[in-house]
Formats: sequence, C-alpha cells, structure tokens
Amino acid sequence: MIGRILSLGRRGCDVLEALGRSGLFLAQSGVGIPSREGWYLWLRQMHFVGVLSLAIVLVSGLFIGMVLALQGYTILVDFGAEQALGQMVSLSLLRELSPVVAALLFAGRAGSALTAEIGLMKATEQLTSMEMIGVDPLRRVVAPRLWAGFVALPLLTVGFSVIGIYGGYLVGVEWLGVFEGSYWGNMQASVDFIEDVGNGMVKSLVFALVVTWIAVFQGYDLVPTSEGISRATTRTVVYSSLAVLGLDFVLTALMFGGFS
Amino acid sequence: MIDSPFVEVSNLHFSRGEKVIFSGVELQIPRGRITAVMGPSGTGKTTLLKLVGGQLAPDAGRVLIDGQDVHALSRKALFTLRRRMGMLFQSGALFSDLSVFENVAFPLRVHTDLPPTMIRDLVLMKLQAVGLRGARELMPAELSGGMARRVALARAIALDPELVLYDEPFVGQDPISKGVLVQLIKQLNDALGLTSVVVSHDIQETLSIADYVYVIADGQVMAHGTPDSLDIDDDPRVSQFVHGEPDGPVPFHYPAPDYFHDILNLEGRP
Repeated sequence: MIGRILSLGRRGCDVLEALGRSGLFLAQSGVGIPSREGWYLWLRQMHFVGVLSLAIVLVSGLFIGMVLALQGYTILVDFGAEQALGQMVSLSLLRELSPVVAALLFAGRAGSALTAEIGLMKATEQLTSMEMIGVDPLRRVVAPRLWAGFVALPLLTVGFSVIGIYGGYLVGVEWLGVFEGSYWGNMQASVDFIEDVGNGMVKSLVFALVVTWIAVFQGYDLVPTSEGISRATTRTVVYSSLAVLGLDFVLTALMFGGFS
Repeated sequence: MIDSPFVEVSNLHFSRGEKVIFSGVELQIPRGRITAVMGPSGTGKTTLLKLVGGQLAPDAGRVLIDGQDVHALSRKALFTLRRRMGMLFQSGALFSDLSVFENVAFPLRVHTDLPPTMIRDLVLMKLQAVGLRGARELMPAELSGGMARRVALARAIALDPELVLYDEPFVGQDPISKGVLVQLIKQLNDALGLTSVVVSHDIQETLSIADYVYVIADGQVMAHGTPDSLDIDDDPRVSQFVHGEPDGPVPFHYPAPDYFHDILNLEGRP
C-alpha cells in the first residue's frame, strides 16, 4: 500500500518535472530572431510539415464536407429547412470540425514524423555533435520545426474549411438539388467573420502550438533507442489527440458557451 | 613532456543516479601527442569525453583545457572553447539531411564568414586528407561505416582544432578501414600538430599509435604509461586487459548464485 502511494507520488513528480522541462524547452527554442539561414530552414520545414500534409488534409476536408451535407440534408429536409444547409455545413466546419480534424490529422501525419526525425537525430548523436561544433540544436533543429508547425496548421485548417464547404456544395446543390442561391446566401448571412472564422482560427493556433510542441519535445526528450523512438512517436499522437480534444472543449465553452 | 599538459583532469567524480562512474580520476594529456584512454566496455570512457567536452558536468573535480576550467565557463565561452576542439563520434553522427560536402562545410559556414569559394577549397582539402574528395556529392546514407567515420573526421578537423577527441574510432570497422583510420589519426596528429585523445578498447590499433596510455577501470585510473611499459605491467588487471584474456580479475561470469545449487534449484527460484 505504502509502495503504491510512493510510486504514485514518484509518477506525479516525474510528470511535473517533464512539464517543467518542456516549458523551458519551449522558451529556449521558441524565442529569438531567426537569422537568414533560419528563414531558409523554416521554409524547408514548412514544406515538410505543411505542403506534404496538404493532400491528406484536403482529401479529408472534401469528404467531411460531403458527409456533412448528406447527413444534414436528410434531417433538414424533414422540416423543410434544407435551404439552411449552407449555414449548417459552414458553421460546423469553421467553428469545430476544421480546427479539430485538421489538428488530429496533422498530429498523425506531421507530428509523428517530427518526433521520429528529431529522435533519430538524437539517437545517432547528431544533436550532440552539433553541440560540440558549437551550434545550439534547440535553435537550429527545434526552432524551425516548431515555428513551421505553428504557421502550417492554421493554413491547413483554412484549406480544410474551404474544400469542406465546396464538398458540401457538391453534394447539397449539385447532387441533392438544394437551391444554389440559398446555399451561399444563408451561409453569407449567418457566418460572422470574428465570431466564427476568427474563433476557429484562434482554436487552430492553439492546437498548432500544442501539437507541434508535444511533437518536438517528445522527439528531443526521448530515450535514444529504437524502442524509445517508437514509444515517443506513439506518445506524440496520443497526447496531442487528447490535448486537442480536451482543449477544444475548454475553448468552445469559453467562446460559444455564453460565459462572456 | 616539456610543456604544461593541454588537458588536465583532476580528482574527477561523476555518477549516474546510484551508479558511480568515476571516483577520483586524474589524467594529464600532453600537447601535440596522441593519448589513449582505454578500458573495458562500460567503464565510462565516452562519458569521460563528454565531461571533457563540457556536455556533462562532474559531481566534483576539475577539467582544465589549456588552463581554462571547462565547467566554470559561461555557455558562450564554452561554445567558443568548443571551436578549438573537434570530436569524432562513435557513430560518425553526420547530419543525415546534408551531403558529405555540406557536412564538412557546416562548421565553416556557422563559425566563419569566408566566401563560398574559400569554403569550397577548404572542404576539398579536408576531404582530400581523408581520401574522400570524390564522394562529396553523396548523402550520409550512401556511405559505408568506414567512409562515414572518415567524413566525420574531416568535419571534426574542418576548423583546424587544437584538440581532437576520438570516441571509439575503430569499433565495428573492417580490418582495412581500421588500418586507414589508424593511419589517418597518426598522420593528422603529426601534420597538424594536434593534441589527440583516443578512447578505445581496440588494443592493437590503439597501442600502435598512442604516445601515452591511460587504462581506466572501476572508476579510477588503473595504470598509465607508454605502450611498451603497459605491455610488461604485472598488475593482473592490466595484463588481463592488455592481453585480452577472457577470465581473470575481471570475471567471465556475471555475479550469480552457486552453479550447482542453481541447477538443482535448491532455493526454488524461477
């Protein structure tokens, strides 16, 4: 019994210590003005985490928009309200589905890759040798990846929303025959730029920070063995998915819960 | 040894968790020579290099490099000091996203403002010294283990350091590349006037080039001297290691209960 309490306490201390380490880690790598080379490194990472995630994000967005329209139509048509389809598709995407689903996909596609890449660099002593050459790996390896993730995910989220709304249009208007004018018109009338688009983007920025932070920290902090890398990669996906879903609830409650 | 030693390790204590790695290690590494640090696996030879390079901090004791206390330096001064050191890692540790050329150019690009043509000349000179000028376009994944280590060596000497630390340079190499590395280390040391520290447990290769040898075991310096004096050392521990005998003071068997009892399982263990 005592042993169990002891191990619980030790676990608690470990968790707190890891949180502290990750905070320091974020502060040390996130701040500072990038050099010209820093911009180049950042651009390269934008390609890896952003451009290469485009395909999966856009395809998912298209299908989610199409499914939303199909499901929404079958319900709305019972009430004769299928004219509101555009409003339903766009609001669910902008407020909720785009930031969350894009972040989950991003964690799986880019986050795990970041963890594995940094972890492998650690396991093969590349980070240590960089330090011995006199270059801080936090600035050279971690910072560009952190910033690339932070910028890329919100952009991907925008793409997700746009193509999702287009998917809704394809199914709702082109296939099921909702009047085109009401699809776009109702959307225009009901979507508020600050309230809906803005809040969705704020969510996306928060998710981007959290997911990328978890990914690079897990890579930097892992035990440099093949087992350690596989565990850290799994942890990245699990932790970031949970963090995204949990934070989404908190943010939704703050933004749309009517507390303000 | 007319000069003062280039690296001086005094009364070094270091432990990892409960495990004591060093308890009072004393080393003096003379300028311009090749000093070997040898010892059985797991005695913390790599840890020693990391302590010298300032990546780990000792629990007690000092490491002086050219008179500067490595662990009392500010982070900035430490990075400046590191420019005067090169380190060859066990795995080579080449940056996998850069080509051979870019790997060698990396320290030059970071630390100097030299024009591209001069960087190119310098990189080609270093690659020529390790015999891999023709491999400059290759990526690290396309190199054999021996080639990777030679590229890493070229990178380690790119900034013309005064001190080069070699971490197990011969491990996992075929006889040919072992021979090549032995020669390279010797040649570079003589040609560039480097101070070299070779950490290794490959006895033949290391003793053939070392000017002075330290043998470390159980957290302490067990013996030191010139290669010839070690060969005739009568300390049984030293002689077991130097002559590679399987059993002796360092036992062949991991500590275990009595064999007879264990086989009959008198104690009912799993």
